[in-house]
Amino acid sequence: MTSAPARGQPDGLPAFRDAGHGYDVFGLDPRAARRAARLCGPLYRRYFRVTSTGSEHLPATGAAILVANHAGTLPVDGAMLWLDVMAHSGRVLRPVADLFVAAFPIVNTVFARIGVVSGTRQNVRHLLEAGELIAIFPEGTTGVAKPFRERYRLQAWRVGHAELAIRHRVPVIPVAIIGSEESWPVAFKLRGVRAFGAPYLPIPASPVPLPVRYHLHYGAPLALHRDHPPDAADDPVIAAAAAERVKVALAELIARGLEARRAGAVGGRR
Amino acid sequence: MRILVTGATTPLGGEVGRRLLTDPAVEHVLEAGAEPFLGDAPRLSYRRCDLTRERAVHDLVHGDARAHGVDTVIHLALHRSARDEGPRIHARNVLALRQLLAACAAVPTIARFVYPSSAAVYALRASGPALLDEDAALEFDPEAPQWIRDRVEADLTVCARMGMSRLAIVVLRTAEILAPDMGSQLWDYLRSRVCLRPLGFDPMINVISLEDAAAAVVLAAGARGQGVYNVAGADTLPLSRLIARWGRRDVPVPRPLLAPLYRLRAGATGLEFRFDLNLRRFQFGGLIDDARARADLGYRPTHPLRWPRP
Repeated sequence: MTSAPARGQPDGLPAFRDAGHGYDVFGLDPRAARRAARLCGPLYRRYFRVTSTGSEHLPATGAAILVANHAGTLPVDGAMLWLDVMAHSGRVLRPVADLFVAAFPIVNTVFARIGVVSGTRQNVRHLLEAGELIAIFPEGTTGVAKPFRERYRLQAWRVGHAELAIRHRVPVIPVAIIGSEESWPVAFKLRGVRAFGAPYLPIPASPVPLPVRYHLHYGAPLALHRDHPPDAADDPVIAAAAAERVKVALAELIARGLEARRAGAVGGRR
Repeated sequence: MRILVTGATTPLGGEVGRRLLTDPAVEHVLEAGAEPFLGDAPRLSYRRCDLTRERAVHDLVHGDARAHGVDTVIHLALHRSARDEGPRIHARNVLALRQLLAACAAVPTIARFVYPSSAAVYALRASGPALLDEDAALEFDPEAPQWIRDRVEADLTVCARMGMSRLAIVVLRTAEILAPDMGSQLWDYLRSRVCLRPLGFDPMINVISLEDAAAAVVLAAGARGQGVYNVAGADTLPLSRLIARWGRRDVPVPRPLLAPLYRLRAGATGLEFRFDLNLRRFQFGGLIDDARARADLGYRPTHPLRWPRP
């Protein structure tokens, strides 16, 4: 099954690959994405007061992998990144979610309509071949549930993003998300509760996310594929080294972002 | 080409037969079906045949097919009703196919065997990919309904001969043909004015028209090489949109209620839709990726559904 090439819509809707009835094969509906962006606009502008630097690194067209740090009970950081990418590039970011998300009633449908995709290898391959902009959080659920004392320390680092970048010849853009790791930390995890296949039930330290300012820092694209042929993606040593390169770049970006926040060089009152 | 088409009296068989006869390269079409004699025409002959009887299969292949110099066999005979179960249905869906394959391999003129399988053979899981390619896992759940188990066994029966027989074998895992008398679960589902679907799930569904399914079969019959191909239709949309475009009312209902409600419906009206057959599809979708059929067979779905007027 293929679909029409990505295109901007005459009525200002974001570009997408229509599978024939106004949805792409993963269930993205650009009208729903626009509605979601409007609905969440106040959260983005007034509650978390998101600012960003380096959005010029977001490509106007073509595939790229955004790699970001992850924290905060529920993926609020992913939502702010999604909104920021739409605000600055007009593109619908395709965040890659953990596999268990597809089994969650209602959430699975809302996520599908706004462009979230379940993280199977085939799904991500299809998106990259279609020239989509995807976001991967290599810390996964370990990152979401990191304790407050571990904030801004990158947790267990998966290597799938580096493999994909090498195999599909796409750039990796590190994104430091500053603010998310203080906003809604996990107090403890109920490991016995595994609703819909989730690994645990997170109990946050506050009933709602705290209104911490978000600062997003997009780093310069890393061309991991320049150093390796596509087949090198299968070499675990090469993939691990490439993933480490991304981790180091992101850790530096986070450190710079935290320093800029301390110095008051980002954000500002609105 | 000289072609034997089994299941010729099904809507798909009829459409395939019509398409084959428009091709001047097709010298003769031998049709076999369960219905009484339909009549012959130039380049077309019909043979009534009960494929569950080994003798009938033997006589069809070694008698009529050999006499007509058949070189390609298209096997479309499959029990369509999801209500029927048991050994008789298994014999029609699986044993007849096995016998036909063995008989065809023994006739020197027959070189090609085309079997339209179904996308229902794939295992659908929440953790699975949104687009299933031909390497995706098949449904081996022993608790799955016979309707699915038969289709998986038939599919694998044909696949197992690929490369082991002198026949060039093509398996077409076709999306659901949304047409009457084709055993389409969705066709039956959409006959009610109110369509119930699982609350909180609205998966993407792909359906194929009879014309596109037949076109894929004819392409596979005339192609070279062998293999397994997914064949998707021109219409891909969420289940709720499918219901709305069909002019029906979409009512989300908690999932545990759906199987008993549709059992009641089947008991009261005799309709065939079974929620247990569609349990996973109605939650997790499971579209098929037809990139291989497009590349190797030149297949393109060009006949979207004819949607009823709202």
